[in-house]
Amino acid sequence: MLDTTVDNMIEEKPKIIARDVKVVYGDKEALRDVSLDVMDKTVTAFIGPSGCGKSTFLRCFNRMNDTIANCRVSGSLIYDGQEISAHDPVTLRARIGMVFQKPNPFPKSIYDNVAYGPRIHGLSKNKADLDGIVEKALRRGALWDEVKDRLHETGTGLSGGQQQRLCIARAIATEPEVLLMDEPCSALDPIATAQIEELINELKQSYSVVIVTHSMQQAARVSQKTAFFHLGNLVEYNDTGDIFTKPSDPRTESYITGRIG
Amino acid sequence: MSLKARQSKEKRFQFAGLAAISIGLLCLVMLFASVLSAGLPAFQQTFIKLTFNLPADKLDKSGNRNPQEMKKVSTIGYTKVITEQLKLNLTKAGLEFDQLSKKELKNMISKEAPAQVRYAVLEDPSLLDREFEMVLLANGRIDGYYKGRVTKKSAELDVMVSPKQLELADQMKRAGILETRFNGRFFYWPDASDLRPEAAGLGVALLGSFYMVLIVLVLAVPLAVCTAIFLEEFAPKNRFTDLIEINISNLAAVPSIVFGILGLSLFINFMDLPQSAPIVGGLCLTLMTLPTVIIAARASIKAVPPSIKAAALGLGASKVQAVFHHVLPSAAPGILTGTIIGLAQALGETAPLLLIGMVAFVREYPSLSPEGIFEPATALPVQLYNWTVRGDPAFVERASGAIIVLLVFMITMNLLAIVLRKRFERRW
Repeated sequence: MLDTTVDNMIEEKPKIIARDVKVVYGDKEALRDVSLDVMDKTVTAFIGPSGCGKSTFLRCFNRMNDTIANCRVSGSLIYDGQEISAHDPVTLRARIGMVFQKPNPFPKSIYDNVAYGPRIHGLSKNKADLDGIVEKALRRGALWDEVKDRLHETGTGLSGGQQQRLCIARAIATEPEVLLMDEPCSALDPIATAQIEELINELKQSYSVVIVTHSMQQAARVSQKTAFFHLGNLVEYNDTGDIFTKPSDPRTESYITGRIG
Repeated sequence: MSLKARQSKEKRFQFAGLAAISIGLLCLVMLFASVLSAGLPAFQQTFIKLTFNLPADKLDKSGNRNPQEMKKVSTIGYTKVITEQLKLNLTKAGLEFDQLSKKELKNMISKEAPAQVRYAVLEDPSLLDREFEMVLLANGRIDGYYKGRVTKKSAELDVMVSPKQLELADQMKRAGILETRFNGRFFYWPDASDLRPEAAGLGVALLGSFYMVLIVLVLAVPLAVCTAIFLEEFAPKNRFTDLIEINISNLAAVPSIVFGILGLSLFINFMDLPQSAPIVGGLCLTLMTLPTVIIAARASIKAVPPSIKAAALGLGASKVQAVFHHVLPSAAPGILTGTIIGLAQALGETAPLLLIGMVAFVREYPSLSPEGIFEPATALPVQLYNWTVRGDPAFVERASGAIIVLLVFMITMNLLAIVLRKRFERRW
C-alpha cells in the first residue's frame, strides 16, 4: 500500500489518452465510450467479468483489432501526441509491445524468438549487437540464467512459465514504451504466475504496463491503477488501493466482493 | 439395453471391422501377387551371345570404312549377314540346324537385332573383319518359351514359332549361347513395333513422365501455394471468395478426362501447341493437380495456430512478413505432403493424356534439352495402356512390368510424403 502511494507521487504525463472509445463487432457493440489515461512507468490493470470488453480495449492500443474483419474502432486514442489510427501499425507495434494470454513462442530457437523483432525493425548493426540485445531482453525477462546455455534450442520446448517469460523478453527486445499483457498468467501455475508478477513489478521501472486480468488478487498485487469494466462500459478507474478499499460504484463493489462476475 | 447386449454389440462391431480389414488385405495381397507374377518376367529377357566376324565386303562395299557410305546397306543386308554368323556359331558349338528352314533360323533372333548390329557397326566401322562378341535379343516367342508363355505344343499352332526352333533354343542354352537374364534395357529402350515385343522398353515413357511431373511441379506448386496463401490470409471473406472456394472444391472432383478435353481444345486447338508433347500433358495435369494441392495447402495453413500470427503481428511484423516468416514455414510440411500426393496422382493419370495424343507410338526420345518438352513422348501409364491393347502376350507381360515400375514410383512418393510429415510434424 505504501508502495502505491509513492508511485502515485511520481506520476507523469499520461502515455496513452483514450477518449470516447467505441468498438463494434459487426452490429454488436463491444465497448461503449471509454475514456481513460494510461500513465507512464505504472502498471494499469483492467479487470472485469468475461466479455466485458477489457481485452478489446487493450487491443485498441496496438491496433490488433485491425486484424479482425468487421471490427470498427471509433473515438480518440492518442499516443505520443498523435492519433493511434494515424500511426503506422508496424512501428506502433514495435513501440507498444504485446504479450498474449497463451504463451505463443515461435517454433524456432529461443535466440531467434527474441531476435525476431529487432531483426525486422533493423535495430541491430551486426551479430554482436544482436547478441547483446537478445541477452539484455532475456535478462530483463528474468529468463537469461535458465536458458543461456541452450539459446539455440527450440522455444516451444520450455515450460509454460518459461515460455511466457520468453514471450515477454521477445516483446521487450524491440525497446517498447508500453507493454500490453492480455491475461498473461491465465495459462500458468501459481509459481510461474508469481515469477511473472515479480517481473511485471520490475518492468514498470522502464515501461508503462497495461495488464488485463481475471484475478482481482493479481490486479491488487501488481497494479497501481485499476479500471473496472462491465458489459462494455468503463465503470470505474482509480488508484488500485481505492478501487479495492472504497469503490465508488455499487457494481465495482459487487464484483470485488464476488457477487457478480 | 442390457449389459450383455451392449457387450455383444461391441464384439460384433469389432468382428465386422476385422473382417473388413482382412478382406482389404487379402485383395492387396492378391493384387501384388498377380501383378508381380505377371510383371516380374518383364525384367528378364532371353539373349543370344554370338561371336561375330562381319564380312567387310558385304557391309562396306567401297572399303573405305566411311559410315556415310556404309549407311547404304540396310537392315535387310545385315539380316542375311547375321543369319550366316549364327550358322557359323552353331556349327562351332557342334549344334545341328539342318532341320530348320532358312526363315526359321533367321527368326531365332529378334527382328530388332539387325538394327542393333548396324548401329554398332556405323558407330565403330573398325568392328568389320575382326572377331568380337555381341549379345542379341532372342525372338519374343523363344523368350516366352523360357517364361512359360509358349510351349512346344502351342508352337505347333503358332505361325511365329515352330517346335524345331524351340528344340534348337534348348540346345543353344545347353551350349551356353542362349541365356535368360536381367534386362536393364526394359527401362531405357523406347517402345517397339508389334512384331518385336522383346525390344520394347519404357525409356520414352519414363522421360515423358519425368518431363510432365517436372512441369506440374514447376507450375502447379507455386500457383497452388500462392492461391492458398491469398485465399487463407489476405482475401476478404465475401460472396466472390466463397464462390472461388466452392469451385476449387468442385474442380478437385471433376473427372480427369474432362481436363483432357479442355487441354485438347485449349492448348492444342487454340494455342497450337504440338500434340503428344509433354508440355501439353504437363499443362493438363497441372490443371488437374492444382485443386488438390490448393486444398492441401489451405488445410495446412489453416492448421497453423492463429496465436503464431498474432505474435508476429504484435511484434510489428507486416502481414506479409507474418505469413512468410511464420505461417508458411509451419505449414510447409503439410504443403509438401499435399504436393507429393498431387504429383503422384499426376504421374499415374492416364485419361487426359489419351485425348491429347500421348497415346501415339513414339520411338524417338524427346531431346534432353528444354525443347524436349515440345517433342512427342508418351507417359508411363499411357505406355502401359498401350501395351495392354496389343495382341502379343509378350506385351501384356511388359505392361505388367510397367505396372510394377509405376507402383514402385507411387509407393516411393507416398512413403516420402509420410516420412516428411512424420519428420517435420510439429506439436503445439
